Amino acid sequence: MKSTELFRQYQLTPNTWDEMYQNETVRAHYRNVLESLSSIPSDELSKKEELAKSLFMAQGITFTVYSSGEGIEKIFPFDIIPRIITASEWDFIERGIKQRLRALNLFLKDVYHQQFIIKDGIVPVELIYSCPHYLREMQNVNVPHDIYVHIAGIDLIRDHDGTFYVLEDNLRTPSGVSYMIENREITKRIFPDLIPKNHVLPVTQYPSILYKNLMSLSPGQVSSPNVVLLTPGIYNSAYFEHTTLARLMGIELVEGRDLVVENQKVYMKTTAGLQQVDVIYRRVDDEFLDPLVFNPDSVLGVSGILAAYRKGNVAIVNAIGNGVADDKAIYVYVPEMIRYYLNEEPLLKNVPTYQLERPDERDHVLKNINRMVVKKTNGSGGYGMLMGHAASDAEIADYSKEILKDPRAFIAQPVISLSNAPCYINGKAQPRRVDLRPFALCGPNGIEIVPGGLTRVALKEGSLVVNSSQGGGSKDTWVLAE
Amino acid sequence: MLSRVADSLYWMARYMERTDSVLRMLKINYNSSQDAPQDFTWHPVLSIFASLDDHEIDRLEDDSRKVLQFMIVDRLNPNSVFNMVTLARENARSVQDHITVELWKCLNEFYHVVRGDRLTYAIQHGDPITVLDTLIKECMLYFGTTDITMFRGEGLQFMNLGKFMERAIQSAEILDIKLGNLSGEVDKPTDTAYWKYLLMSISGYSLYLKRYQSGFEARNIVDQVLFNPDFPRSVLYSLNQLERNFDRLRSEKNLEGFQKVQFMIGKLRSNVQYSNVQNVYDTGLHNYLKDVIDEIDEIGVGLNQHFFGYT
Repeated sequence: MKSTELFRQYQLTPNTWDEMYQNETVRAHYRNVLESLSSIPSDELSKKEELAKSLFMAQGITFTVYSSGEGIEKIFPFDIIPRIITASEWDFIERGIKQRLRALNLFLKDVYHQQFIIKDGIVPVELIYSCPHYLREMQNVNVPHDIYVHIAGIDLIRDHDGTFYVLEDNLRTPSGVSYMIENREITKRIFPDLIPKNHVLPVTQYPSILYKNLMSLSPGQVSSPNVVLLTPGIYNSAYFEHTTLARLMGIELVEGRDLVVENQKVYMKTTAGLQQVDVIYRRVDDEFLDPLVFNPDSVLGVSGILAAYRKGNVAIVNAIGNGVADDKAIYVYVPEMIRYYLNEEPLLKNVPTYQLERPDERDHVLKNINRMVVKKTNGSGGYGMLMGHAASDAEIADYSKEILKDPRAFIAQPVISLSNAPCYINGKAQPRRVDLRPFALCGPNGIEIVPGGLTRVALKEGSLVVNSSQGGGSKDTWVLAE
Repeated sequence: MLSRVADSLYWMARYMERTDSVLRMLKINYNSSQDAPQDFTWHPVLSIFASLDDHEIDRLEDDSRKVLQFMIVDRLNPNSVFNMVTLARENARSVQDHITVELWKCLNEFYHVVRGDRLTYAIQHGDPITVLDTLIKECMLYFGTTDITMFRGEGLQFMNLGKFMERAIQSAEILDIKLGNLSGEVDKPTDTAYWKYLLMSISGYSLYLKRYQSGFEARNIVDQVLFNPDFPRSVLYSLNQLERNFDRLRSEKNLEGFQKVQFMIGKLRSNVQYSNVQNVYDTGLHNYLKDVIDEIDEIGVGLNQHFFGYT
């Protein structure tokens, strides 16, 4: 059985961009891969799928789900067919993200200092102060090189005509980059030679760029700064990513209980006494970072760390208080920010977004709710979303009540039908919805984006939600050289 | 090195050493149960390694498969191989950036083997020796991988501390299970099969035959397991290694803590080195072993206080 079989039943979805097919023809950049896949007997493909699973399992690239007391190891589902991005598409994405991040960084500096953008009436003041992630404690705090967003994972989707849209800006502690790296390693194992044959750009340089940027943030005059990665611990679902990054950068992986603040300096507890820490790449959210200032019940953070940070004795990455810039209600204003700070037209479009605080927009949304996606402004992970077209009347009624209670906490967007990419499911190629999260690194020398990213895929047939918590998986993401 | 990391490496190594001991002990005892069922009892194994009360022991001890199942895969038995490997892996998981990828994969695979349904099925229906050999091989992979891949630094020293402290305790306990209750009549000839199995369970059988050439005498066994400096499972050997590895941790920054623990290790090691079988008999075997184990536990407390004290 040959693999043309594989695509025989591939159904194009109407009004949807397909990454591989343009009408009935295969796009040029997918032809090589299609040919290679077609030369592999289909039972061999299933074996490759099994191999991928066992490689993830053996390396412990897993997260643990705790139920009935015993942890169950799960792998983040991996689809073996790569998602391919052409050089010109990538060039556009790269320019668009860099532009957006420059503006967002300036916005954060502005909001936490002079607030010109508020005074000039571009962003309403109530919106800033009502944002739960705006932190008064950060007002007038200077951060090294004025960089707030050192690592961004901006989510992109493609509409029916292939236009890229920004779905959300993740500027706090975006995760998934280890899957960008590991998915590539797995592809190397299951499809020998396929990557060099297709001139795929490498992604392995990510940790060294990040490390170089972290080093450059060190506040002290020390020749070899002590850079650490702060993790919430082994029970965190992204723990694998934390260990991978620490290992690849050769830095210490610490937990809150390993650190202590004395004299507004941060130290780690070692077998030879206390050792000062200069830079912290933290994967702990703001609200858990310092029990003295934020959530007093947190045991994941370090008491006094905010004071050390404000004093400039330690650099924290990403900066504290970034949530004000990736709030979904602020998101609406990002195109305006780009015009305001950079005097440029935005390259990447925003998804049209209704602010439910505004009575006219709210009425419009509630009337047309079955064509809307309603989200919480500070939510993530696909939790607390309402997909209007799929929800029952009762669900809609309940959700509408929630909206009316606190309209600031919600936004709505028309349903955008994400693009499709071929996935290997039950022995056949089938179209599934995908998004794209490239990882951008901002350092003192500018913004670098490793050519690749995390392609998340909604593995459930017909689903538009790609989040791993909602049955999503991922793909290796190729950016081709010219 | 972070105190928490040192602590995790130390416990990872202790759990793996204990796993290895328990598996070997189970293998030999199982063999013995098939050999001479009329003289054999699982009672000492269950009372020492599983801290069960007599009632529960009575319920289990006549059924070797049930004992194995309890000792290997029972989730509720804190000393089951399953739980020890899980703990070793949890410790390894939190220090992945301090052990090699090979070592992590080795522990991760071991974990997936012990928690797999296939293993439980094999214990219930297959050949127990095959099961135990599979698991013992996983342990040997762990030890070999550690030896071949681990960086010769502080991390490995802490692993070695854990390993040799645990080994000394295990050898002392195995001796206590088999001979502790014979005190007073230690020279009385008893069932030789019993002692043969004891030596086999700590891989000391062939060494014994070569060295003592005199059939089985309790005092020779005690001599080998406690005092033979070349027998890698003897208490003295383990303490020598403990001292050697600990000395490499000397650091100006933590000199006070270092000296305190060094004193404890040195004292215990000298005590054992300059004792002989006669002293042991004078004190009573059980008491002697108990003192040794208590002092090793004290060293553990010392390490906790001066090296792992991160809370």
